[in-house]
Amino acid sequence: MKKIALVGAIAGIGLIVACQPAAQKAEAQKPKKELSKYEKFKIAFYQNQDKWQKYCSNEAQLVPQGISVEEFKKAMLATIKFPPGGKVMGDWKKGEKLFGDPKKGGKSRRGNCYACHCGDPQIIACGNIGPSLRGYGKKGVDPKQTYMRIYNSWAFVPCSAMPRLGYWGVLKPEEIADIVAFLHSPESPINK
Amino acid sequence: MKKRTFLALGVFAGGAVLGTLAVAKEQLPEHLRELLELGMHPGHVFVDEGRDYYHNLKGPNGKTCATCHGQDGSKLVGAYAKMPRYYKDIDKVADIDLRILSCMTKYIGFDPKDKKFKKKYLKTYRIPLSTYVASLSNGMKINVKIEHPKEKEMYELGKKVWFTRAGAREFSCAMCHTVLAGKRIRLQGLPNPVRDKSYNHWPAYRFGSDRMWTMEDRVRSCFKAYFLFTKRWDEKKDWVKKPPPFVKEVIAVELYMKHASNGGVIEVPGLLR
Ligand code: HEC
Ligand code: HEC
Ligand code: HEC
Repeated sequence: MKKIALVGAIAGIGLIVACQPAAQKAEAQKPKKELSKYEKFKIAFYQNQDKWQKYCSNEAQLVPQGISVEEFKKAMLATIKFPPGGKVMGDWKKGEKLFGDPKKGGKSRRGNCYACHCGDPQIIACGNIGPSLRGYGKKGVDPKQTYMRIYNSWAFVPCSAMPRLGYWGVLKPEEIADIVAFLHSPESPINK
Repeated sequence: MKKRTFLALGVFAGGAVLGTLAVAKEQLPEHLRELLELGMHPGHVFVDEGRDYYHNLKGPNGKTCATCHGQDGSKLVGAYAKMPRYYKDIDKVADIDLRILSCMTKYIGFDPKDKKFKKKYLKTYRIPLSTYVASLSNGMKINVKIEHPKEKEMYELGKKVWFTRAGAREFSCAMCHTVLAGKRIRLQGLPNPVRDKSYNHWPAYRFGSDRMWTMEDRVRSCFKAYFLFTKRWDEKKDWVKKPPPFVKEVIAVELYMKHASNGGVIEVPGLLR
């Protein structure tokens, strides 16, 4: 079987395809078929679950017994990538948009920090799942730490409700740096 | 017709922060409260529509639901209290959405492969019929049993789905509805449907969006928050928003939740913000 396919590739596909038995033809066409909605869901829900999410998928939704929290954090830390030049503070105005309030140009759902955190004191439509980030820049946290936390929150609190937004590529390193600027910059409304 | 008038109410409701979900009467917008006092629940339009389909919608073979299940659903009283459950005729555990679909294709002659019919079922018949049939169990206690091997299998799957963290937002049902229950995600209070036996008020009319939803709609919609993807999550190009209808993962998690709601008294259609 495999040999035939190989010969096919060498000898010119048109000719060989015509000679292939029906079953083999179907086999050759398979990759082109659009996945069904259910197949896509199953890939997304089962196959794409990473091993860290598997660890957290228990009744407590925490790191289970037998898994070292320190190892977990270490592995997560190792995934963190920084923007070019290691610049962890970008443009706070762009960061404000990514923080995700519709009134502040936050059209994208990608950051959506307000779902869980309060930030700009003017914005009262904010969740209380994570700690309030009002005045965050005055707390003396190292911006690099903040960057890493947003890139991969599980490097600090494994299995946290806070998503690993850089890890999954939901936010690009530069975008995370913009958010860090929004959190730390003295001009940012968060710190006013 | 009547359904539309509630759209406007949603706008009022949007601004308010309602702690609990099964809304207390005092928390309803005034229009809605007045209508309720007159005995007019917006969800009842769907019950009426469902009753109409039940008696008058003829399949290609000329039968109606009433042909087999009796005038005014007499033989379906109490059925919803035990669903989802295993059905021998289809060899599956079915929820109400899938059970009615199966009857339409197996017993009244609609073609399961006919895409037009499937769409019509999904958009037009499913919700009113499900709501009507569910309402026939009003006042009865939820009593889901896990006995048949396929029910056991589905229950285990449902439990697994409940706790599974997945997607680019690392969510699970348990994260939002057990661990974070009582907190606020932006302005929405997170309910605890397992502890609170909330299945008793589904299907429910949601006045915020002017829609009647079955539990399938509710569960499928909750998956949007996960940011599921096939290769790499992308808002426009790669976002698996929901599982398709009638899939086993959805029915399984319904079974899990409804079993947890055993003993809860059915009161449908519910009314939620
Ligand atoms: C689903 C909820 C959720 C979302 C969305 C979320 N966070 Fe968090 N965040 C949390 C939780 C819970 C914590 C506390 C546990 C932890 O550190 O992981 C937290 C912690 C933090 C901390 C540390 C705060 C401190 O004082 O220690 C920062 C900074 C932070 N989040 C920033 C962000 C930013 C920026 C965004 C948007 C890009 C965001 N979060 C989105 C839930 C969330
Ligand atoms: C030709 C007969 C027939 C017709 C017509 C029919 N069904 Fe059924 N229905 C069945 C059978 C058989 C079962 C399976 C009963 C069992 O296994 O307990 C069933 C089961 C059900 C159940 C689950 C009952 C239970 O006790 O759990 C519901 C709900 C239902 N049907 C709704 C409908 C609706 C709504 C219609 C119209 C769209 C319909 N059926 C049309 C034969 C029919
Ligand atoms: C990001 C958080 C989140 C996740 C994850 C989530 N839900 Fe929800 N769910 C919500 C919110 C918010 C509501 C209430 C919406 C409203 O106010 O109308 C809700 C409502 C519900 C309700 C109705 C509760 C009631 O009181 O009537 C059920 C049932 C439910 N979800 C089931 C699930 C299941 C099953 C899953 C997993 C497949 C899930 N949810 C995942 C946020 C979530």
